Amino acid sequence: MKAFRPVRAWRAGRASVGDGAVTAAAGQGAAPLHQSASRDLLLLAAAGVAGLLLLMWALAWVTEASGTGSADAVDATTGTITLALSTEPPQLDSTRLTDLVSGRILGHVMEGLLRYDENNRIAPGVASRWEIGLTEATFHLREDARWSDGSPVTAHDFVYAWRTVLDPATASEYAFILHPIENGAAINRGEAPREELGATALDDRTLHVRLQHPTPHFEKLMAFATYNPIKEAFREGRQGRYGADAEDLLYNGPFVISSWVHGASLRMERNPHYWDQDRIHLNAIDYAYITTDVNAVLNLYKDGKVAIAGLNAETLEDALQRRWQLKRFVDGSVFFIEFNHRPERLTANLNLRRAIQLVTDPAELVYKVIKLPGTLPGESIFPVWLKGVHGAFRQEYPAPTHPVDIELAREHLARAATELDIAGAWPPLVFLSGDNPAANKQAEYFQEVYRARLGLEVKIDRQIFKQRLAKMTAGDFDMVLAGWGPDYEDPLTFGDLFASWNENNRGRYVNPALDSWVEVAQTSPAPRDRMEAFAEIQRIIHEDAVVLPNYESGSVYAQHPRLQGVVRRAVGTDPDFTQAYITGTGD
Amino acid sequence: MAAAALSFERAVAQPEAEVLARPSLSYWQDAWRRLQANRRALVSLYIVLALLAFTVVGPLLWRVDPSAQDLDQISAPPGADRSAEIVAPHVPWAGVTMPLAEGNRLAAEQLTAPAELALADPANTQAVRLQWQPVPGASGYRVHRNILHPAPDDALGLPLADVLQPGRVSFEDRLDIQPRTYYYSVSALDQDGDVAPAYATLQVVAKRVITGAEAVQRGLVETMEDAALGQRVRLRLHPFGTDYLGRDLLARLMHGARVSLFIGIVAPLVYVFVGVLYGSIAGFAGGRADQVLMRFADFVVALPFLLFMILFRILFRIEGGDDGIAPMMLAMVLLSWPAAARLVRGQILQIREEGYVGAARLLGAKTNYLVGRHMIPNTMGVILVTLTFAAPAAIFTEAFLSFIGMGVAPPTPSWGSMCNEGIKTMLTHPHELIFPAVFISITVLAFNLLGDGLRDALDARMRGRGGE
Repeated sequence: MKAFRPVRAWRAGRASVGDGAVTAAAGQGAAPLHQSASRDLLLLAAAGVAGLLLLMWALAWVTEASGTGSADAVDATTGTITLALSTEPPQLDSTRLTDLVSGRILGHVMEGLLRYDENNRIAPGVASRWEIGLTEATFHLREDARWSDGSPVTAHDFVYAWRTVLDPATASEYAFILHPIENGAAINRGEAPREELGATALDDRTLHVRLQHPTPHFEKLMAFATYNPIKEAFREGRQGRYGADAEDLLYNGPFVISSWVHGASLRMERNPHYWDQDRIHLNAIDYAYITTDVNAVLNLYKDGKVAIAGLNAETLEDALQRRWQLKRFVDGSVFFIEFNHRPERLTANLNLRRAIQLVTDPAELVYKVIKLPGTLPGESIFPVWLKGVHGAFRQEYPAPTHPVDIELAREHLARAATELDIAGAWPPLVFLSGDNPAANKQAEYFQEVYRARLGLEVKIDRQIFKQRLAKMTAGDFDMVLAGWGPDYEDPLTFGDLFASWNENNRGRYVNPALDSWVEVAQTSPAPRDRMEAFAEIQRIIHEDAVVLPNYESGSVYAQHPRLQGVVRRAVGTDPDFTQAYITGTGD
Repeated sequence: MAAAALSFERAVAQPEAEVLARPSLSYWQDAWRRLQANRRALVSLYIVLALLAFTVVGPLLWRVDPSAQDLDQISAPPGADRSAEIVAPHVPWAGVTMPLAEGNRLAAEQLTAPAELALADPANTQAVRLQWQPVPGASGYRVHRNILHPAPDDALGLPLADVLQPGRVSFEDRLDIQPRTYYYSVSALDQDGDVAPAYATLQVVAKRVITGAEAVQRGLVETMEDAALGQRVRLRLHPFGTDYLGRDLLARLMHGARVSLFIGIVAPLVYVFVGVLYGSIAGFAGGRADQVLMRFADFVVALPFLLFMILFRILFRIEGGDDGIAPMMLAMVLLSWPAAARLVRGQILQIREEGYVGAARLLGAKTNYLVGRHMIPNTMGVILVTLTFAAPAAIFTEAFLSFIGMGVAPPTPSWGSMCNEGIKTMLTHPHELIFPAVFISITVLAFNLLGDGLRDALDARMRGRGGE
């Protein structure tokens, strides 16, 4: 049959050609073809749809099957809550702490001398009493503070931890936070042996600290995780693996890590040795999912698998349609565009920075692009929640503002072009940004703003966090989308960012006037003098266009209605489940 | 009988035997005729041509900058209402402050709902300004906004802000106000900052507005004089809607097609050409040379494409802000030619042994003649089919790589990167994903069906299949 077909067809073709009616024959031949083709297509489409439905059903079945057996997000009978973690902590050694996620976990499993309570006031932690003077401080440790192996937490554990942080061999990125302690900076630079640190254990339960210079915010520093204690015998026994795994840590906080499956899950359980058992209501906090995908977490929340889900501008509407009770939270961070001030870069030119500053409109960014409630248009690197002398700092010292002025901006740009000898088009500016959707959106928004309003070409360089940090440190950028979260509740945590000696001054801005104000803020004991200094820093940063504040970040999230007592705070452990409880049945 | 048979006459010349009774068809004419008979392939051909016109002619007719951001119409669906009223620019609002109401410290449960919740100014998309009467004993107020009525389950919706300044009984909302109905709810806070269960709700319909300066900047009116307050203007038309930054989807699809079709057509042209050259040399030379050449082709097949593309990116010093098209093309050309080379080599090997090639050789034909007269025309069908099948594969590769962020650099659009952006808003604004996805699907399908039809039309052994 097969061999026959072409022959017959060939004949038919010749015949029709012979009739001299090529098109007509083709048309006739096409009619049955068309019919069969459309029937084929219809069949194909039907099969495709059926296949797709089958696939969807199979997928639904698979996800359901894998989901069975896992408990509810909030389980009152076992006192367990289930949550999702955005990323896994790289490690949990408090001396090498840098990221927020590690800080959140450490806040639950460790306790420093002091801590923040549910109203964000300083409360006693391992220390039950303390006296802080101008240049020295004494902490009296409570008797019943225990490590999770039952041994007492002693003043020696703090001295050992602090010396380790400052030891240049540790290379701690947060060592600067211990510099107020006498000889802290010198030890960190390798100019003094670690034994010369001004922190001594008078006995097991008394810790005495001498300060390098008056440090008004020293009390608040004591709640920061880098000041946590570490038991020397345990850490030395782990041979460099301290903090790498659940069993490589010794805990003294309300919870202990009972299991840590890298990349998959992390589970915390109540610490039976913790001194303040009345404060803890939950038995376990189960971070059963580790994913950066906010949509995945939202779907888990819809299925009742996690107790908290963050929302973004895209998912808000869906949440409103579902009539969820939403919560809002201002996380205290400030985001800004940081310029590269290294002399070889174009952005070292003040007129160029001014021009860019004058066309940047944080209100438009926040209200039309970011669209998240709680997010405030940035006016200053000092966020609105910081306290001043009596009231809020920003009400006592309002941030200098400027209207968007495209004409004036173009004048500045023309001046910059003359100063930099640029004739014609500007070379493209490198705009370094993160690789998450929110950062992409902002970067593309700014790219178009600068193109449309100034005619500047901007290249967006998307990098993952680590790579972005490396490029920032190397100065491989003109502008970068950067942010800063507070380490302690004092304007200084933002105020010293652009001091010439600060490692986090990645744009390498150097201004002796600003440096001297930072020194005043660091050492002056009078609150009014300090606030005046911060106001001057605020003014310099605006006038010199050191950075362009974009926004103070906030977030909106949905929380399981039966989960209560979760503390959200800008400074310290966030979210804090230590005192959370489950309402409804049980508890 | 035999003798009679031997006596033959010289035949008379019959000129009519020399005349061709029917018009003869060349190979290509025949192929074209059969392609025309294949309705599916023909439609696909028209689609491909239409896409080329869409890319080349489209931007000349639809003169919209694909990277211009219309922030008044972010994620606007196709055919959205777009009339706006011209208003004065936004001025900061001091708000309403009233002397603190006399009252004792009250627990949240005892606080009443704010009375006389009303608009301080007409509500528009620039700002919604609310004010209300102070609640005795309240330390502040919390403002919620919802798109549905809060009753019956007290779903107040989005917590916008806490009003904590002493005596302040007003709030200005500027957060992404769309021209639609909102329900604002205000409840009092007690001294500890706990929220009262009682609340007042106000239904607000926001009107779409634009400032005169913005209208001039976006080219909606000629000059500021034309932009009288209260006048209505039509915002820019976006037939396919806009994306998450208010960029025109139609213009982006047209410009995105440029990248996709450029890669889809140029890359296969180059690597099929390389493959044909390589394959015909191998096939024609035969023997040891063929063995060596084809083993090298096998080796190239084993090289991973993605890895090489990343290596080329590094080699070209392609950073985040640069276009990744060049390394993508290079990797495609360097790694994709063996398929075409194998096909052509097989074809050449076969043709080489054909009788007519032997005959030509016997008659003293040179290599050039053999290749030009016999080999290439006879492999043309295979080459063309390979080309049409390579195009959708290349388009798909580009879309995939742009989707994972290794293709074009923003703000240049490509269909793949548009899909990547659209997928984030898939549930709320599906049009941002559907349009580029449909374009990719149609293009790939059209190229595939066209390739299918070409194969049927060009392959002699498939002749007549179309008539079945």
